[in-house]
This record gives sequence, structure tokens and C-alpha cells, in this order.
Amino acid sequence: MKKLKNLLISSVTLLLIACGGSKEPEKTFTFYAGLQDDHAAMIAKEFQAKTGIKTDYVRMSSGEVLARLKAEKNNMTASVWYGGPADAFVAAQAEGLLEPYKSKEDQYIPANLKDPGNYWTGIYVGYLGFVGNQKMLAEKGLEMPKSWNDLLDPKFKGEIVVAHPGSSGTAYTMVATLVQLMGEDQAMEYLKQLNQNIRQYTKSGTAPGRMAGQGEVTVGITFLHDAIKYKKEGFTDIIISAPEEGTGFEIGGVALLKNAPNPEAGKMFIDWVLSKEVQELGKTVGSYQFLTNSNANPPEEAMQLKGTKLIDYDFDWAGNNRVRLVERFTNETNTDIPQK
Amino acid sequence: MINKINSTIGYKKKLLKELYKDKFLFFSILFSILVVAFFVLLPLYNVFLESITFKGQYSLQNYIDSFSRSGNITIIWNTLKLGFVSSTLSLIFGFIFAYATSYLDIKGKKVFDFIATLPIISPPFVVAMSAILLFGRVGLITRGLLGLRNFEIYGFHGLVLVQVLSFFPIAYLMLVGLFKNIDPSVEEAARDLGASRGKVFSTITLPLMLPGIANAFLLVFIQSIADFSNPVVIGGNFTTISVKIYQEGIGNFQLGVATALAMILLTISIKIFVLQRNYINKKSYITVTGKASRARDLITEKNIVRPIYYSLIVLTAFVFLMYALIPIGSFVNLWGVDYGFTLKHYKYIFDFGTTPIYQTTYLSVIATIITGIASMIIAFLIARKEFIGKSFLEFTTIMALAIPGTIIGLGYVISYNVTYNIPFTNFVVIPTLTGTAFIIIMAFIIRNLPVGIRSGISSLQQIDPSIEEAAQILGASSSTVIRTVTIPMIKDAFFSGLIYSFARSMTLVSTIIFLISAKWKLLTPAIMNNIDTGRIGVASAYCTILIVIVSLVMFVIKLTLDFKKQELNNE
Repeated sequence: MKKLKNLLISSVTLLLIACGGSKEPEKTFTFYAGLQDDHAAMIAKEFQAKTGIKTDYVRMSSGEVLARLKAEKNNMTASVWYGGPADAFVAAQAEGLLEPYKSKEDQYIPANLKDPGNYWTGIYVGYLGFVGNQKMLAEKGLEMPKSWNDLLDPKFKGEIVVAHPGSSGTAYTMVATLVQLMGEDQAMEYLKQLNQNIRQYTKSGTAPGRMAGQGEVTVGITFLHDAIKYKKEGFTDIIISAPEEGTGFEIGGVALLKNAPNPEAGKMFIDWVLSKEVQELGKTVGSYQFLTNSNANPPEEAMQLKGTKLIDYDFDWAGNNRVRLVERFTNETNTDIPQK
Repeated sequence: MINKINSTIGYKKKLLKELYKDKFLFFSILFSILVVAFFVLLPLYNVFLESITFKGQYSLQNYIDSFSRSGNITIIWNTLKLGFVSSTLSLIFGFIFAYATSYLDIKGKKVFDFIATLPIISPPFVVAMSAILLFGRVGLITRGLLGLRNFEIYGFHGLVLVQVLSFFPIAYLMLVGLFKNIDPSVEEAARDLGASRGKVFSTITLPLMLPGIANAFLLVFIQSIADFSNPVVIGGNFTTISVKIYQEGIGNFQLGVATALAMILLTISIKIFVLQRNYINKKSYITVTGKASRARDLITEKNIVRPIYYSLIVLTAFVFLMYALIPIGSFVNLWGVDYGFTLKHYKYIFDFGTTPIYQTTYLSVIATIITGIASMIIAFLIARKEFIGKSFLEFTTIMALAIPGTIIGLGYVISYNVTYNIPFTNFVVIPTLTGTAFIIIMAFIIRNLPVGIRSGISSLQQIDPSIEEAAQILGASSSTVIRTVTIPMIKDAFFSGLIYSFARSMTLVSTIIFLISAKWKLLTPAIMNNIDTGRIGVASAYCTILIVIVSLVMFVIKLTLDFKKQELNNE
């Protein structure tokens, strides 16, 4: 029995040490990151090096961040939400999870790339478009689609992949774009038709780009900077195009959280990430979005997208109609999803 | 009538009295019930509360929404179908492996044993990743070897394949422990009396195994329907409830509908659990009088051995192939595009991704030790003792397995983001736990306890309690009985439980997605992130490191076990 007792005691002690050890010291700063892991890691490291404040981050998808913020409402553990689509920030603001903050860099950020009430500020802009696999297209005798309309061609049956708007901000941007472009009923009709060509709805918004790169699928719908990144990483068969009818875009945002544990560091952080120098750091870790600071030079990799026709995307509207539109999308397309 | 009531009261009083006398027993029961109340029931209650709250008021609207949405009925049906097919196949595979390693005279048993335990030491979605690399549109086999252009791995069949590969080890581990406990003399007596191998198998071995088989089926079924990561990676358009819960709760910001769906899933699991328990409890399976008295004469007949052996080899080769891809993938530049050798993925990890490796291992070790001990004590209490609250304890600890991980995680965040005071005072009973290591360890323990308890109970059910009673009558206390009689008899179950808990803690996905914090980062979310963003190489490198760590720990545990055996033999 003695052995058993000792084991029990030592494990309980270990447990206590483990919780005691996790009491956070006062001078740390934590942010939730909605952008890619290496980007977040680089930013955390640089901020810590610059300010001496111990900086930690957790990377999550925008839906995960939002769910967690709701749960942590009364006891925020992070101070800032950095990266992630603006409509998720709009939803967070509607839930009373954000604290307005007007950064000193605010003057350099164009008005259409930030919230008028200063609840969030844009850090980058990414365009929605098509990513194709050259080899697969040639093999199937298909042309790279150049418009939303091209995607409806029956020849693309089973060749297209896009994320599900229920789990992906990217896919929701597509739905919201189409609704703003064509009107709601027509957009739903379009999505129903498109559904017949969809091979699979993925969970993550970047997956279609990777699948196209690997040749798992012929065409993916995703943010084009992700496709550029994949191409740079070696998926050389990737080609991209933006729909000629016009396309939607995302603004990656940054926001101060309500009841943040270390608001001073949070404000410092927001000023810092909005600055020209820090925005330009993104390309060193493969983030090829356009930047929001008017002084910052966008990565040359993004320049091929320069002439893209953009719609006048309404973020507030997109954020406020999200639940309804996703529900409608799910209901209307479900009727046609092949249930294998 | 009054006499009857009096005698029941008397009986209960007697139970209570005994409980007080035996302090060890008393405190273990109290402690177990407290843990269960705070880490299973309270979070679940909060999830339930959320499911019946609509716009700030009590309402069944979320349930109405769940059922009225087109597609949701199909999704519930999908989930059941998947669970049934996956657990039946897993059971068959697990049974073949367990039977072969315990009954047949064949070579390479260690290899088969290793292969059957391999799938538990890696996160399930890794098997899904391998399946895509092998059988996807540019898969090594489908496209490279067979030249298939339109083979579809995403969907029901891909999901079944992946789930069976991930879950058959659970069945194997449970069954192999039971096979080892069957005393060969019973079977041999039947053989001596002229019964054929087939007759012995169908009239003695199989009936003895029935509770184990039912338990294994239950466990795999519940795992299968609660599984989140495989359906996400490889399910394609075949949606299951747990994926839907994630989509509603995380993607759609509809926590109400998500929790309502979770309650539906929970109801299904509990129904199955109750069904199985009632069936088993009606029969007595006490057949073994302690340890198997001696080694079994292994079956050598070629007509039995050969077909089993060959099917085993095919299965083994297949599992091996799935796993070989992971280390290979970690040294390959870019899968499907450039197969050149590289170390860059490991360099990437050692440059800025080692924290999750250390922290996951550290927390898993702590959780494993506690889970191992706690599960055996609770199993003992449930199988051997009568006490008030016993069925409560049994039901809730096992039920923890049936709760989808995402919901447990969310339940923890909702429940432990506040402090709990003693009513009307400022005395804090439970501090804020979100973001701490404690809550992650508790999640590990609660997720793994049910499996440990179940395997403990199944082993105990095969052992005649009279042995322990004899010890008790001779004056030994509960703790002495556990230590000197019970534990040696269920040692195998205990150690396989340890291995299982450790591996499961290291590879848990759904629950801890919500519990990781800036301070405590874990491996599986890191791997998931890398799969998500297409860094298959880095994901494979992380998995390889993970597999190495788990194998090392397994090796150490097995070594300790062998050492102990020798010690006993020397005595």
C-alpha cells in the first residue's frame, strides 16, 4: 500500500505544481492570432524583442476565436485579436466583445479598411479568386475559369472545391460576395447550380488552394494570396485568376478586446502592427496580402493581382447577415448534396 | 412490509457503517464522486442549459431548429451507420489479432502486437492524412500504382477505413487482456472429452468473451460517433453529428443549436450504453479462478492457423504501410510534387515549434499516472463494492466517453472561467481554471478514465470475487486487498490502460482545442494547423516525433512490467 500511497501523493503534488506554475505573471501580453502560425510566431517574437514584454499567442480559426471570446467574456485571457476576417470582428463587436481604440497609425489607414467606430482596424487585404492546377486542367481539356459564370459549366462537374461557409470565413466571403453582386435570391440559385459541380466542401478556407496545388482537385475557390504562397512553396502547377464580374475581398483586422488583462500592451501592440515596417514584415513569412498602411509597399508577389475588379464589399452588412445567409446556404444546398 | 423496509434501512446503515470504518474506501468514493461532479456533470449541465436557452429565455427552439433543418435527420442517420459499420469491422479485426496472438502457434507475434497497438500512438487524423496521400486523386497507390484518375477516398468508405484503422486497437487491447485471463484448463477439458476446436470456440471461448466483445463494441461505437477529426479530414460530403456540432458552434456561431445537437448525440450514446449494460449484467461470467493456471497449448492445426495467419499478414502490411508514410513524409520536400530528401521540416520545428512537444509530454505524463490509479480504484469500487451512489459513479464516469470532446471542452470553458465561492462568503473553492495546466490535465483524465475503468471492470468480472473475499475475511483491509490480490490479477489491464491513456492524452484533439492557452500549447493543434495550411511535411515531422515519444514511454512501461514479472518469479 505504501507504494500506491506514495504514487498517489507524488502525482497529486505534481498536479499542484503544474497548476501553481501556470499562474501568469503580471507583465505578459497575449493575443489570439487568426492568421497563419509562422506569421503569428514571428510577430510575437519581434514584439517581445522590441518591447521586452513577454508575448504569447494562440492561433485559432476566426470561428474558434469568436467562440472562445464569448465563453471568456467575463474573464478575458488575451488582450488583442490579431488577424482574421473583418466580418468576424463585426460579429464580435455586436456581441460586445471589443473595445474601441483609435491607433496613432489610424491616419495612414484608408477609411474603407477600418471600422468607423474604431472597434477594429484593417491590417491587410486579400482578394477572393480561383486557383487551378495547370496539369489537371490540361488533362481534362478544360480552360482556367475566368468568371463566376464559367464555374457553372457542366464540364466542371466534380472538379471544384470550396470550403463550407458554416466553418470558413473564406467561404462566407464568397457567399456574401455573390449576394452583393447578384442579389440574394439569384445568388442562392447560383450556389445551388454551383453545388452540382462541387466535389467537396472543406472545413478550412485555405484547403482548396492546397488541394489544387497537389492535384487533388482541378479548381479551388480561395483567397489568392494563399495560392501564391502555395505556389512559392513548390506547388508549381498552380495558376490563379480573379472573376471578371468582380470579386469580394477580406480585410484582416486587429482589435482590442473588452476587459483585456493588459490593455496598455494591447494598444502598443496595435500601434506597432499597423506601422509600415511591421506590415511589410508579413512577406518574409509568406503572407502576400495587400497592406492597409498607405505608406507600406505591398509584396511584389501580390502585384500580379493589381488590376482585379473588386466589388464594393459591405463588411457591416456581411457581418450582420452571416447567420441568416449561412443558414439559407446550408438549407438550399443540402437538398442537393449527394449523401453517399 | 415494515419488516422489509426495516431490513433495507438496516442494510443501508450497515453499508454506511462499513464505509466509515474503511477510511480508504470512504475517501476514494468521496473523491471520485467529487471529481465526477465537477468535471463531468457541471460542464454538461452548463451545456444543457445553453441548449435550452434561446435569446435569454428557456425554450426548446434550438431542438426544433436542429430537427427541422433539412439534412439533419440524414446526418443523424449517417452517424449511426458509420458507428455501426466501423465498430463491427474494428471488432472483427481486433478479435482476429487478439485470437491469433493468444491462441495460435505462429511466428511474429510481437510484430502483430506492435502493429495492433501502433494506431493508438498517433492522432487519428494522421491515418486520414496517410489515406489521402495513398488513395487520394494523386495518391501513391491510386494514381501512381494503378493509374486511377477518379478514385474518391473522401466520404463514407474512406471514413470507415480510417476509423477502423484508428479504433480496432481499442478492441484488440481489451480482447487480448481477456483472452489471457481465460484459464486454458476449461477449454482443454472440453477438448479431452472429444469436442472439436470449433465446438470449443463456439461453446466456451466465445461465450466467455461476450462481455468483453460487447464492451469493445460499445467503446468503439461511442468513439466512432463522437469522432471529430477523421470526418473533418476525410468525410467529404458525408457529414456526421460531431462535425455538424463544430460547424454550428464554431463556424455558424450558433452555440444553442450546437449544444442541442450534442445532447442528441449524447442521448444516443447513453441509450446504447444502457442497453449493453443491462444485457451483460443479466448474465454471470465468472469463470476464472484467479490467474490462468498455466500457459495454453497453442493451436497448430494448419487449416486453422494458415487462413488466420495470412489475413493477419495482409492487415499488418496495410497498417504498416499507412504508418510508414508518416516518417517518410517528414523527410520529403513536397508530397505529390517533389519527393527529394530534406531535413527542413525538422529544422522548422526546432527553430520555433518545440514548446508543444515538451508541454504535451509533461502534462500527459501527469495525467496518465493519475488516470491509471484512479481508474483501477474506481473499477474496483464498481465491480466489487456496494455503496450508496455506486450506479451514479459508474454511469457518469463511463458517460464521459460518450460526450463529444468539443462539447466537454466548451463546457469547461463556460464552467471554469469563473470562480466558485462557498455561498455567501468570499472563500474560493475553485479558482478560475481556464488557461491553466490543471484544466488540460483534468480534460485528459476525464477523457481517458472511462476506458481504464471499463477495461478494469471487464477484467474484474472474469475473476471470482471469492478470492478477494477470502482475503477480506482473513482481516485484510480494502487497500491491502487491492494491492495484494486485485492489482496483481488485473495488472495487464492496468498497464495497457496506462499506455492507452498516455497515447490518448498525447493525441487528443477535440476537447483541448478550447483549452490550449498562450502558456500551454499542445501538439495536436499544432499538427492540425500545419495540415490545415498544407504543410504536410511539418505535420508529418511532428507526428514522427510524437510517435517516437509514445513508443519510448510504451517501451519503458513494458520493460517495468517484464521486470516485475521476473521479480515475482524470483520470489
